[in-house]
Amino acid sequence: MEELINKLKLEIIDALNLDGMTPEEIEDEAPLFGEGLGLDSIDALELIVLMEKNYGIKLANPADGKKIFSSVKTMAEYIAANRSK
Amino acid sequence: MQRSLIVLMKVLPRVVLYGVMALVVPFYMLINRAGYRATYRFFRERMGYGPLRSFAGVYANHFVFGGVILDRFAMYAGKTFRFDNAENDLIMEKSAEPGGFIVSSSHVGNYELAGYTLHCSGKSLSALVFAGEKKTVMDGRRKMFSETGISMIPLMEDMSHIYEINRLLDEGQIVSMPCDRIFGSAKFVEAPFFGETARFPMGPFSIAVTKGVPMIAVFSMKTSLKGYRLHARPLGMSGVTRAEKVASLAASYARELEDVLRTYPCQWFNYFDFWKK
Repeated sequence: MEELINKLKLEIIDALNLDGMTPEEIEDEAPLFGEGLGLDSIDALELIVLMEKNYGIKLANPADGKKIFSSVKTMAEYIAANRSK
Repeated sequence: MQRSLIVLMKVLPRVVLYGVMALVVPFYMLINRAGYRATYRFFRERMGYGPLRSFAGVYANHFVFGGVILDRFAMYAGKTFRFDNAENDLIMEKSAEPGGFIVSSSHVGNYELAGYTLHCSGKSLSALVFAGEKKTVMDGRRKMFSETGISMIPLMEDMSHIYEINRLLDEGQIVSMPCDRIFGSAKFVEAPFFGETARFPMGPFSIAVTKGVPMIAVFSMKTSLKGYRLHARPLGMSGVTRAEKVASLAASYARELEDVLRTYPCQWFNYFDFWKK
């Protein structure tokens, strides 16, 4: 899980152009939206596409997305349980 | 008020309501100080008009804006318009190709009326709209949209609109998004516009790059009491990095918007200092 979390952090930094940010600066359980990383709806699409392209997970339900994108840790847990890539 | 306007539109000739509006506009100009200033400055600083011509431009702008609103309710009331859809070919061509695309909307002319007349064979058109509009407007739109096969995507706090846009583009459909107002996400991209850098919403351009879909700028400009002309232009994308691609799309949109406004300067309906940083 630790390895997946670190990989995911790198992918998030790349997808969202978080220039100058390192994986260490993103806390595993910090909120991705609002406080924490301060992501918004544009970033949400990037994360949805990232999940689809990199892990074969298609997200269509906003309620599920809210839970999955709570933090890097929740994303990694969902990926580990549902990935097809 | 809005329901009464639809009823009036059904019983009175349009020209009567336009006449009443011509009398009301000067009072509205007095009340709408911020809008007056922003529009006056647009004519003075961006179009390079003199003071008198700028003042006349503000009146004409407010008059046309009122006309555009009246036309919207006239449409809800079942009235018809003449549309010169010469440039609709581009939309037809894109519609015939596989894959979805994004159509940019702007607060110029009467985009909503254009939506009712766009012919997109084989694809659905869904428009991202501000969810806070008055019920009468939303009901009117829903009625018109249901008759033309267009659906609305309300911008929601839970970001459900993002999932919907993603789904529609994956299915090869058309999504329309406002490109001249920063709403929803606060992120913006800067582009040259009338000789100075202005801020445009990053969302539509970012989504186009992320999803790898083309963008078309569509403007529906009022040409007479009952006439509109549709302008549809492809937006160019260049650059290597994602940021460069987003910036190039925004710059292309800004160029097309400026080009259309130079032809129809009285149809610029962003009543705030667009260039304010």
